[in-house]
Amino acid sequence: MSNTLLARFAQNVFWLGRYIERVDNLARILDINETYARESHGAPDWGRVLEIYGDGERFRERHDEPGEHDILHFYVLDPHNPGSLTSTVSMARENARSIRHLISTEMWTQLNTFHTRVAQLTQRDIWPTNISRLCKEMKEACQTFEGIAEGTFFRGPAWHFYSMGKYIERADQTTRVLYLGCDLLEEDRDAVNTVRWNALLRSVAAYHAFRWVRPRGHRRADIINFLLHDEGFPRSVKLCVGAVEIHIENLVLRRGQPRVPAVENACTRLNFVLETGLGHRITAPVLRDFLDKLEQGLIHVSDEIASAYFRMG
Amino acid sequence: MAPPRTHPTASPRGVFADYSPGDFYCEMFGPRGADSVRPIRDRLNRFDLPALRRRARSAERELFDLGITFTVYSGEKSIDRTLPFDVIPRVLPASDWNRIETGVIQRVAALNLFLHDIYHDQKIIKDGVIPAELVLGNHNYRAEMQGFTPARGTYVHICGTDIVRDDEGNFRVLEDNARTPSGVSYVIENRHLMMRSFPDLAEGISIADVDDYGRQLAKALADVAPEGISDPAIALMSPGVYNSAYFEHIFLAREMGVPLVEGRDLVVERDKVYMRTIRGLEPVHVIYRRIDDDFLDPAAFRPDSALGVPGLFEAYRKGNVTLANAVGTGVADDKAVYAYMPRIVQYYLAEEPILHNVPTHICREAEGLAYTLEHLDQLVTKPVGESGGYGVVIGPQASKRTLADLRRKLKADPDNFISQPLVNLSVCPTLTRTGVEPRHVDLRPFAVTGESTWVLPGGLTRVALRRGSLIVNSSQGGGSKDTWVLV
Repeated sequence: MSNTLLARFAQNVFWLGRYIERVDNLARILDINETYARESHGAPDWGRVLEIYGDGERFRERHDEPGEHDILHFYVLDPHNPGSLTSTVSMARENARSIRHLISTEMWTQLNTFHTRVAQLTQRDIWPTNISRLCKEMKEACQTFEGIAEGTFFRGPAWHFYSMGKYIERADQTTRVLYLGCDLLEEDRDAVNTVRWNALLRSVAAYHAFRWVRPRGHRRADIINFLLHDEGFPRSVKLCVGAVEIHIENLVLRRGQPRVPAVENACTRLNFVLETGLGHRITAPVLRDFLDKLEQGLIHVSDEIASAYFRMG
Repeated sequence: MAPPRTHPTASPRGVFADYSPGDFYCEMFGPRGADSVRPIRDRLNRFDLPALRRRARSAERELFDLGITFTVYSGEKSIDRTLPFDVIPRVLPASDWNRIETGVIQRVAALNLFLHDIYHDQKIIKDGVIPAELVLGNHNYRAEMQGFTPARGTYVHICGTDIVRDDEGNFRVLEDNARTPSGVSYVIENRHLMMRSFPDLAEGISIADVDDYGRQLAKALADVAPEGISDPAIALMSPGVYNSAYFEHIFLAREMGVPLVEGRDLVVERDKVYMRTIRGLEPVHVIYRRIDDDFLDPAAFRPDSALGVPGLFEAYRKGNVTLANAVGTGVADDKAVYAYMPRIVQYYLAEEPILHNVPTHICREAEGLAYTLEHLDQLVTKPVGESGGYGVVIGPQASKRTLADLRRKLKADPDNFISQPLVNLSVCPTLTRTGVEPRHVDLRPFAVTGESTWVLPGGLTRVALRRGSLIVNSSQGGGSKDTWVLV
């Protein structure tokens, strides 16, 4: 029985992985913007977050100009925004609830407690003085979940779908963080804003890792390539896509699932874009165009997984 | 070497200092098996009230974090509630348990024989033991089951028998739940919670284990797989996440290690049942369904059921899948049929019932009607066709007008009524806002039947948390306790 997995559960557990990762990254992106906002250089541009998530339209339906409080409310507390922290955690819990019998009690209890905590958040928690602390708490809750999953989640097909969801989402999120890099490239016309590039690295926990790999260098192309391609950095797009491929391969080799060429081809195509899509001269429009292609590639992989596994019979 | 466990030191004001059970039989202080219960009582009495409350609060918190909750929906909001848990266990001495266990096994055997008979030759009707219309006119009777024999002749695979103890200390069956009895998850979760909250209370005392339920259930379900299937695929079928018992469905699927499916995950092709998995359709041989007969199969029963699987019943009739419990068991746990249970036991097993009913007067019988009319103000009168306590008149608490009204109804349609004396349910010391006080309890042991019947030691003790209340249902202010069977 341990290699049998209902199609619906595969979908639920895949999305559980995605939602947890999404919360983690949302906290990172809000935190980095808060850091930018606290800097002296010019006015903070919260509109950037809307751009990263493609939420401009939805936000403007209910708000005028993107001010700090409105943005934070929209991304933390707003129950009408499916991408808000509270909505995402609720959806993670709902997905976990439908596959509750497939995950460990420890995973469930932590997520349930996390959900209770998030449901109790108030306006006070998104005050400028509190937001960084909140982001840290959310990030840690996700990492705790992830750690518990690593230590307790039975390594059957459900684990592979959970991991695929997690890594696809992480690749997606790193790609989104890099859109911030496009803005920096544009702003950097006169001088490189080292502080902001460092903050970008820090947002994905890459600052020291990057230093380790490039002790003296501080070329912007190196930073971008590090986030995209470094094989040791756990949030690089390349490492994440590689991890998705490993889990797909393990479904075949270790869980007796048939090979699905469409899924494998989608990964191959994505890797091809990743390896060859960005030339040596990286400008803001070039990078943006490349990131768009990466996003499409990730969506394609996700869609192929869905049609191969989530609607069987 | 680990240091010895410490016990709470004796307190001058133990939790039982002011406890008095009044006129009721007390599960903790009653005379039956008193010697074996006393050590637990003494240990509990070493706690003072604040200490007991502290542990109770942390237990409650843990239940919530574990998500052992049911969801209440009101408008846009959904609220998760825990079933109140009382930390003072209900203790059953070995001799008491022995009687319950053998009594339940006997009763389940009789229920299965009865169901087989009424869906085949109907000898019990022909022999005049039970009136035909009571069975055939019952809305839970399924004519579709006529002539069909489920695997091993087992109809009631999972049975929950509601048992109370009267003021003389005798156990009496209040109700048989032969459809989809719930609550077993609380039995096991309560035990885990109790052992974490009070590791010092049971130390050195031998209590029957409850952890084996999942394995026993899976084994019983495998026993009743269709013929020729040696390693059957079992699934638990739930109406879905919005069902109030969803937590239990998850629990059972986990304990058995089987998929928790909904109707939409299943499909019937050429009278065989499959589930939709990541590699396509895979066969299902046994379904423990937590969904009523009516909703099982829109092709056979309610056509508007979105929860069911079209063709499931035909696959069942062809013997390609086993449903547990069988279709049509509701006729056996009906209130009117309940009144005949002592005769049913005698008829099929030629034995005296080990567990007695609450004495029941059947108003369709002249004697019963006469007695009921004469003692209306002392009896509990129940319409047989209703459920959920609807239409029940508690004589001692009813107004003259209600009784007069009832008298009229009884005379007009005596067949629709039974009556019983008001049973003074036993009490158990329970932690309340005002200290440790007696509260009424019942007991629902769970019996699992495949090739043979196994009863989970103990069962669900439900407790009426309101002072004086006899109603233990969770919907009406009931909670639960851990049930300790001493061995």
